[in-house]
Amino acid sequence: MSAAAGLADDAVAAVSARRLSRLRNVNLLGLVATVATVLAAIVCAFPLYWGLITTFKPEDEIVRPGVQLWPEHFTFQNYWHVLTTTKIGVWYVNSLVTSAGVTVIVLAMAAGAGYAISQLDFPGRRIFWGLILASFMVPIPALIVTHFELMSQFHWINTWAGVIAPQLIAPITVIIYKQFFDSVPKDFREAAAIDGATEFQLLFRIYLPMNWGITTALAIITFIGAWNLFLWPFVAVTTDDQMNITVGITQVHDAFGVSYGRDLAVAMLAALPVAIVYLVFQRKVTQAIMLSAGIKG
Amino acid sequence: MSAPTANGNEAGPHVELRRVTKHYGAVTAISDLSLKVEKGSFTALLGPSGCGKSTLLRMIAGLEAITAGQCFIDSVDVTDVPPAQRRIAMVFQSYALYPHMTVRQNIAFSLSVAGAPRKVQHERALEVARILQLESYLDRRPAELSGGQRQRVAIGRALVRKPEVFLFDEPLSNLDAKLRVQMRLELAKLHADLRTTMIYVTHDQTEAMTLADKIVVLDKGTISQVGSPLDLYNHPANKFVAAFIGSPSMNFFGAEIAAAHDGVASVVLPGGRGARARVRNDARPDGPVELGVRPEHLALTSADDPAAAFSGSVVIVERLGSATILYIDTPAGPLIAQGEGNLAARPGETIGLALSEANVHLFGPTGEAL
Repeated sequence: MSAAAGLADDAVAAVSARRLSRLRNVNLLGLVATVATVLAAIVCAFPLYWGLITTFKPEDEIVRPGVQLWPEHFTFQNYWHVLTTTKIGVWYVNSLVTSAGVTVIVLAMAAGAGYAISQLDFPGRRIFWGLILASFMVPIPALIVTHFELMSQFHWINTWAGVIAPQLIAPITVIIYKQFFDSVPKDFREAAAIDGATEFQLLFRIYLPMNWGITTALAIITFIGAWNLFLWPFVAVTTDDQMNITVGITQVHDAFGVSYGRDLAVAMLAALPVAIVYLVFQRKVTQAIMLSAGIKG
Repeated sequence: MSAPTANGNEAGPHVELRRVTKHYGAVTAISDLSLKVEKGSFTALLGPSGCGKSTLLRMIAGLEAITAGQCFIDSVDVTDVPPAQRRIAMVFQSYALYPHMTVRQNIAFSLSVAGAPRKVQHERALEVARILQLESYLDRRPAELSGGQRQRVAIGRALVRKPEVFLFDEPLSNLDAKLRVQMRLELAKLHADLRTTMIYVTHDQTEAMTLADKIVVLDKGTISQVGSPLDLYNHPANKFVAAFIGSPSMNFFGAEIAAAHDGVASVVLPGGRGARARVRNDARPDGPVELGVRPEHLALTSADDPAAAFSGSVVIVERLGSATILYIDTPAGPLIAQGEGNLAARPGETIGLALSEANVHLFGPTGEAL
C-alpha cells in the first residue's frame, strides 16, 4: 500500500516538474517576445512623442543641443500662434469638404461600377473590367501633369472640384466591391427579382446593406487617404484660402521662417482628426487595409 | 392529367409547359418536355440530383430563359415575361431572407419595392405573420430565428404577394428530420387552406408522396412518369420510377419468362424456382426480363417452404421499432426484405422469401414496365 502511494507521489511530482519546465519555457519565450514588441513600439512611437513634446517647448529650448525628453518650460505658445495667426480653420474646412466629397463620390461610383461588373450582363463588361484592372497598375503621380492640364481647362484650379476630381480614380475600391458583390448568393438576387425589385433597389436595398461593413471600412480608408494627400492639393491650389491642411503646413513654414515648434504644432493639428478617426474605427481601418492588400478578412 | 383535382377545384391547366428545352452550352438540361399543372393542385417535381427539376421550376419562375418551347400561366404565354410579372412566388432552398432586414421587412419587401404605403405593408405583414404564427418574431432579424421559423418567413414572403402559383425549390432540405416532418404538415395545411396551385421540387420521395396530389418523376431532363403517389408506387411505368419510389428501394434481379397468357406471365427465377407476375394484356414478352419486388412485398417464410421463391442467408438486421429490415444473400443476389414490427430473424439464419403475383413487377430490356 505504502509502496503504491510512494509510486503515485513520484508520478505526480514528475508530471508537476514537466509542467513547470514547460511553463518556464513558455514564460521565457513570452517575456522575450514582450520585451521585443515593447522596444519596437517605443522605436515607432518615439518620433511621435518627440514631435509632440517639441510643440510644448519654447523655440530656444528646441534648438538647444542635447536630448531633453520633457519640456523645461511648458508652453502652448506654438499652438496659440498657429491657431491665431494662420488660416488653419479654413484649411480644416477645405480638407474636410474635399475629403468627404472624395469619399462619398468614390464610394457611390465604385459601388455602382462594382455592382454592374459583378451582376449585370452588358456588352463590353469584360473590357470594362480589364480597363479597371489595368488602371490599377498606373501610378497616379505619373498623371499629375495631365490632371493639372485638364483641371486648368475646366477652370477648376483653386477650387474644391479641382482638388476632388483627380482623386476619384479608385480602381481598388471597385475591385473590392465587385469581389464582395460576387460573393452574395444569387438566391437573394433572384428572390428580389421575383419580388419586382429594380437594379437600383437591388443595389441600394440588398447588396449595399448586406456589405455595409465593407462600405464603412472603405469610407474610412478613403477619407484618411484623401485627408493625408499632399501632392495633388499642393499642385492644384495656389491661394491660401483654398489650401488643404496638408498644404497649409508648408505655408506656416514659409511665412514664419524655420520654427520647429510651430511647424510641428500645425502638423499635430493636421493629424489630429485622422488620429481620432483611426482610434475610433481601428478595427474597420485594419480590415480595409487587409482588403486593399487582397486579403479578404 | 386534365381530370378534376383532388380538392375539387375546376380542372384546367393553370401552368403549362409546351415542348420546352433548355440547353446550357452543349449540355441539354431539359429536352422537349411538356407538362400541365391543374389549378389548385399540389404538384411535386421529383427526381435525383441533376435530373432538371430545379431548372424546370426556374423556367416556370422566369429565372432561366427557355431555349425552345413555351410556358403558359393561366393561358397567358409568359415565356418572355419577367419573373415579377408572372404572378408567381418562390420559396428557395436557402430561404434567401435578407439578413439586414427584420422579419416584418422581409415579408413586406415585395410591397415595399412596389411602393405600397407603409401602413399597408405593416397590415399585410401582420396578416401573413398571423397565418404563419410569426407575430412575436416580426421585429427580429433572420439570424435570431430557428430554421423552421426562417422557413416560415420565406413562405410568408411568398404569401404576402397573393400569387397565382407558389413555387417551392427543395424548401425543407436544410431542416433537420423532425422539423421537416412538422413543416411538411404545415405546408399541407397551408395548401388545404389556400387552395393555390403549388409546384414543389424535391429529391425526397417521402415529401413528394405525402404532400403532392400529382408527382412528376424526372430523369435526365425528361418526364419518366406523371401520376398520383399511389399510381407511381403501385404501377411504375419503368424501372427508373420503380427504383426511385419506395424506401428501401425495390429489389431487381434477372428472370426468364417461360409463358404469358391472359395478363399473367410465368417466370423462372434465378435458382430455378418459378413465380407468376401480372403483365399488360398487350405485352408479348419473351426471353430475359428484370423482375422487381418491393422489400415490403417479400413475405418471410421458412427456407424449406415450397411456396418460397428464394431461400437465403440473413446478413444484417436493422430494427426500426415499427419495422425490421433484413439484408439477405440469395442465389438471385443480395435482396432487402422489410416486415412490420420486430421480426425474429437473426444474422446467419437461413430463411425463405415468397412472392405474391399482385406485387411483382416485370421490366423489359429497355426498362419499360411490362
